[in-house]
Amino acid sequence: MNNSFLRISIWVYLVIFFLYLLGPLVIMSVTAFNSSAFPRMTPWECLTFQWFGELFQDQRILNGIKNSLIIGAGTVVLSVAMGLAGALMLTQIWPKLRATYYTIIIAPILIPGVVLGISTLVFWDRINRMLGLGADSVLSNGIFLTVIGQSTFIASYCMLVLVARLQRYDVALTEAALDLGATHAQAFRKILLPFMRPAIASAAVLAFLASFENYNTTTFTFGEYPTLTIELAQKVRYGITPSISALAFIIVALTVFFALLNEAKLKRQELVAAARKQATVEELAGKIKLPSFFAGNMAAVLLVVFAVATITVVGTATAYNPGQCIANVKEQKRLEAEQRIQELRKQREEQRKKREAEEAEQGGDQQSAPKPSNNSGFGNVFAPNTLGGDTEEESSGPETPPSNNGGFGGAFDPNSLQTDQ
Amino acid sequence: MPQFLKDFFNRNGFGMGLAILGLVLFWTIGLIILPQLSMLDFSFRPNLPPPEIGGPKDVYTLENYKYLIYGPEGGSQDYNAVDLRVFFRTLLAAVCVTIFNLILCYPIAYYLGQSKGSHIRIFAIMLIIPYWINEILRAFALRIIFGETGVLNTLFVGLGIWDTPFDFIRNDIALYAGLGYAYILLMIFPMYNVIESLDGNQIEAARDLGAPWWRIHWRVVIPYAKPGISSGCTMVFMLSAGALAAPQILGGPSSLWFTQLIYQQFNDNNDWPQGAAYAIVLLVTCILFVLAMMRLFKVNMGDIGK
Repeated sequence: MNNSFLRISIWVYLVIFFLYLLGPLVIMSVTAFNSSAFPRMTPWECLTFQWFGELFQDQRILNGIKNSLIIGAGTVVLSVAMGLAGALMLTQIWPKLRATYYTIIIAPILIPGVVLGISTLVFWDRINRMLGLGADSVLSNGIFLTVIGQSTFIASYCMLVLVARLQRYDVALTEAALDLGATHAQAFRKILLPFMRPAIASAAVLAFLASFENYNTTTFTFGEYPTLTIELAQKVRYGITPSISALAFIIVALTVFFALLNEAKLKRQELVAAARKQATVEELAGKIKLPSFFAGNMAAVLLVVFAVATITVVGTATAYNPGQCIANVKEQKRLEAEQRIQELRKQREEQRKKREAEEAEQGGDQQSAPKPSNNSGFGNVFAPNTLGGDTEEESSGPETPPSNNGGFGGAFDPNSLQTDQ
Repeated sequence: MPQFLKDFFNRNGFGMGLAILGLVLFWTIGLIILPQLSMLDFSFRPNLPPPEIGGPKDVYTLENYKYLIYGPEGGSQDYNAVDLRVFFRTLLAAVCVTIFNLILCYPIAYYLGQSKGSHIRIFAIMLIIPYWINEILRAFALRIIFGETGVLNTLFVGLGIWDTPFDFIRNDIALYAGLGYAYILLMIFPMYNVIESLDGNQIEAARDLGAPWWRIHWRVVIPYAKPGISSGCTMVFMLSAGALAAPQILGGPSSLWFTQLIYQQFNDNNDWPQGAAYAIVLLVTCILFVLAMMRLFKVNMGDIGK
């Protein structure tokens, strides 16, 4: 009894937890397909793909992607190299220095990104001045500064990944190679590097992703080369459109795809290995050569489902034209707006009459109410007509009065809102 | 040449050794230590136009730090109430976010660490995927949800629970949810790593001896997981105190985060030394706070980052 209760509650907890974790991403992705000019899931207007088109025509986003790729490549090279050197140094450093050294190379992970960005900017600016170079030298170039600033802490991540594998390395292998006449460089290239390759690959992927999504450091160092993240941040801060959701959808889809691909590959390797272990020689020759890709491999199944879904979506996108639906919604909005204006007129008329009747107290109160136009957190983001259209939808519900228009509907007297309009 | 350097070159060869040493020195000294020192030095200098830098006016001063405490000279208030309030609010909020994350993540880490099966791998992927999505986009996703015409408000107003939209953004709920959301993985993974290595027999033994489930956690699991818990908490605290994207996107118009003040000093006021001083204050306070907490909970520095 008690046990099953615990089990149920942990499952409920897991569901809530993953809803919190994944729900926002799902909702954001869905908003990319709603024709509403403000990214939202409800009210659903029309299925549309126009935001993707808009995204691909946005020169700033495309330019940001280009800069991000350049900076990402530079960061991967620099931070994997420094991370590998740092990891090698950690395994052979003088024991008394070890703790200090470890603290120093792990510190960048804990230092706030803002601080790293500032210190990079200040330091290289000073070097630049000391060398007597102008403001357009390499050392004050946005790409250089961003690569340097990001590598400072990304190298620490790489170091952690690499050192985990390096600890399993048998130094005797290098020694054997040296004894057999290899030079140190050869031993490094032919023995150590192949051993480290999987870790180097994951460190490189990690470094690229960390560089691609970094904001805190980059925002101080980017100069004239804004990365995708910087462009996104500016868009999100100064005006939200669903084309950001469209980009998010693409990124989410790519991430899910590669995560599933990787997992399916790992799982398959495991399954093959397990099958090898159990199989007899004949089976290895015949049956196991084609172990069903999907058998016991949930990730592979999901991967295929996901790929099919993507193809369907892209297929529909090319064939589908939401023009009629959008026109309908527009027409409907216009009608509703007209109706609303009529209502407002009527109400205003009534109020005016009422006010005339009992002018003394009522009138003063109404006038003193603050002007409740759309001064919400999002105020400047809404186009006025979208705001209007939105309230229409909400007000169509039976119990809501048609008044909760501004951000703080509750704070204002509904009547004053109506008079204002 | 000292002995350990000679050994080092013997072991790696001269060329390789030089390359390793060069990269490590560039990283540790050129990228980590010198920039921090440079920033520290910079924070003690007055804000001068470029031609005057290095001139007679370029002397050390405490002006930038005084500004944080006392505000502009001849100001109307005795203390720089606005900035100080933002500073303490940031620290307090970071602590709250850390505690919230700890409570939220501990059961998950325990569950993932102690149960076996292939579904754990799928859970792990589901945990990692949000972490690969851009920080800005994650904040944007929460803004869609918490916005005044967002999903939550539509839902609750539609169900008739509230009659007017609740402003999550101005009440900072969106901000805290966003900060917590951003660093969940950094809390779970260190805890998961430690709890995974806990021998299930210990839990079994405690259960056989009659301990209720909460005492098993209190006396067996949590003491064992302490290094993981402390590294998770340290990372989440430092990162949320130093977060910039989430407050910029999810913060209400009036609620500033301390990093936003630093950002303003750099980008809007163009007062780099002032910004550097604020950054130093943030960094030093956070480090001292973490060290104090580690002392309080008797955690060794060496356990962090394992």
